[in-house]
Amino acid sequence: MKRLLGSILALAASSLADAAVPAAAADASPAPLPDPYALVAAAIDHNRGLTSYVEMAMLVHRPDWRRRSALEAWTRGRTDALVRFTAPPRDAGNATLRNGERMWTYTPKLNRVVRLPFSLMSQSWAGSDFSYTDLSRTDDLLNFYRLVLAEVGEVEGRRVYRIDAFPLDNAPVVWGKEEWLLRDDHVLLSQTFFDQEMQPLKRLEALDIRELGGRQMGVRVRMSKLDEADHYTEIEYLNAQFDLALPDSLFTTFSLQSGGRGG
Amino acid sequence: MPLKLLLQLSGRNILRHRRRNGMMLAALVVAVASVVLMNGLIRGMQRDMADMAVDNLVGHVKVLAPGYRDDPGVQRSFALAADWRSALAPGLLEGWAARLQVPAVVISERGTRGVRLVGVHPVREAVSFLGDVEMAGEFLQDAGDGRILVGRALAEQLETAVGRRLVIITEGVDGRSREAGFRIAGLYDADGTALERAFVFTGVEALQKMLGTEAVTELSMRLHEESQLPQVKAALAASFAGLDVLDWRELQPQAAAMFVYADAAIFIWFLVMMGALAFGLMNTLITSIMERVRELGMLRALGLRGRSVVAQVVLESSLLMLIGVAAGVVLGWLLAQALGEGIDLSLWAEGVESFGMRAVLRPILLVEDVVLIAALSLVLGVAASLYPAWRVVRIKPLEALGR
Repeated sequence: MKRLLGSILALAASSLADAAVPAAAADASPAPLPDPYALVAAAIDHNRGLTSYVEMAMLVHRPDWRRRSALEAWTRGRTDALVRFTAPPRDAGNATLRNGERMWTYTPKLNRVVRLPFSLMSQSWAGSDFSYTDLSRTDDLLNFYRLVLAEVGEVEGRRVYRIDAFPLDNAPVVWGKEEWLLRDDHVLLSQTFFDQEMQPLKRLEALDIRELGGRQMGVRVRMSKLDEADHYTEIEYLNAQFDLALPDSLFTTFSLQSGGRGG
Repeated sequence: MPLKLLLQLSGRNILRHRRRNGMMLAALVVAVASVVLMNGLIRGMQRDMADMAVDNLVGHVKVLAPGYRDDPGVQRSFALAADWRSALAPGLLEGWAARLQVPAVVISERGTRGVRLVGVHPVREAVSFLGDVEMAGEFLQDAGDGRILVGRALAEQLETAVGRRLVIITEGVDGRSREAGFRIAGLYDADGTALERAFVFTGVEALQKMLGTEAVTELSMRLHEESQLPQVKAALAASFAGLDVLDWRELQPQAAAMFVYADAAIFIWFLVMMGALAFGLMNTLITSIMERVRELGMLRALGLRGRSVVAQVVLESSLLMLIGVAAGVVLGWLLAQALGEGIDLSLWAEGVESFGMRAVLRPILLVEDVVLIAALSLVLGVAASLYPAWRVVRIKPLEALGR
């Protein structure tokens, strides 16, 4: 994918530019535009690596209250993930597992593993502004959308692609459109979800981008509800390791129950 | 003593205490009118419930796979033979519809709801409320139409509109979940929001394709005459061996039960109102007798027979009752006419619909009901006068005259 993002990229798309991203400097030499599918696939993989382990702090913010918690998560490929709360004590041990297209949750207080019905996938995850789908369906963009490279711009000396994603006709997608802002080093700057009247409903944005675990990434990201003031969830990545060896047993319901230590 | 004289006496007695008897009459009129009106409303409710039970995709009789009622799903379906109608005598059915009905979840940008997803053949749905439902947008074009019809109330909950896409998740025939986006062809306005929230429609062939089946889960029939139900049921049970053949009373037991309760409610209302009134009437009669002890004693002393005195009291009571019942029936009828447009219960629509009624309640007056109410009232009037009459018979002329 890297080669697609090489310096040979022309900025022919500047004609498409509008106010959303500072317009790219016009370049005389026309060259092929990058393939939006490749851009998105690269960004998804970049964010996750082949495998990853991250420690996060989460802040759920509401007009009249806020809640902080700490989590750790393991991912493998595009389909396997395990997320576990480590603090506060009340929530510690609550965990969510994704294996393939199925998801489970585990609550130590009940000592029960519950397979999530698909009907719950669009519901809020752990009371945050993320839905289960946001966590698990990262590849939807590649499978169910028509991607259009709408604009190429420049921010702080780096190239930024705006990719508009329109759901295919019978796609299981409720949004009218998704809009991604991708930096040329695969960092996702923001992801905005539009309803079918093309009004923005919620937005995921990177508030702080720097190197962590050997990669450039949004180390503080915020998902905000755009139709409700002061509704947002922030996740701060405290520690990240990529491409480490993870045992198969990690992504099983047994591991979900036993503390995510690999069973 | 001739009847004419007795009538004259009774009439005079009534007229002698206009205020007292007037009040008694007023109570009578109100009570009878309320019974007539209440009866009309309950009959209206019953007809609503029966109509709705039949309209709500139930029909008069339905064929289902065994176990579907306890655990509805595409696994509990059956294949419909093309010639299934040969089992029935021709001319019995007003219409029929085969459907594929499965539980599903619909999701919009702003909401998630559990519904019944029903694959229908649009033309065949003349048998259900869908046949003449009010629509915004378009109706489904044919059985292969992969768009959906959504109830207005559900669309409001999901904050969606005609032309938008909803995601529907349900279970395929292999037990794995299926999800797909469906465009909304139209929004329908059913009589009740409960229906609008419960059912989402799409073309049956489109749904069969999505779920990976050729079967249907129900066959619903509407008859020309409900009285032919047992005959049709028997024929169906024979040709659909191994499947459940159920009529609307079995499929909607709560509606059937409400039907029976409503009959009882009419009777209880009548008993309470008229029972209270009977004691009022008795009281009025006793009062008037106690006032007339001397007079009645005199009549006895002059040779009037006990029988005639009793007849006079009963006549007096019956006259009162007759006037009251007549006026009451007229008033009740007028009230029912005034409510001919129906009582708008939409304020309580949710509660009302849970009983299977429409949001507008129209009274229905049946002649036989009104006649029965009038007749029973008169009987009650006579019964109420028996005790006072007995008191009159006990009056001893000597004692009475000595007062």
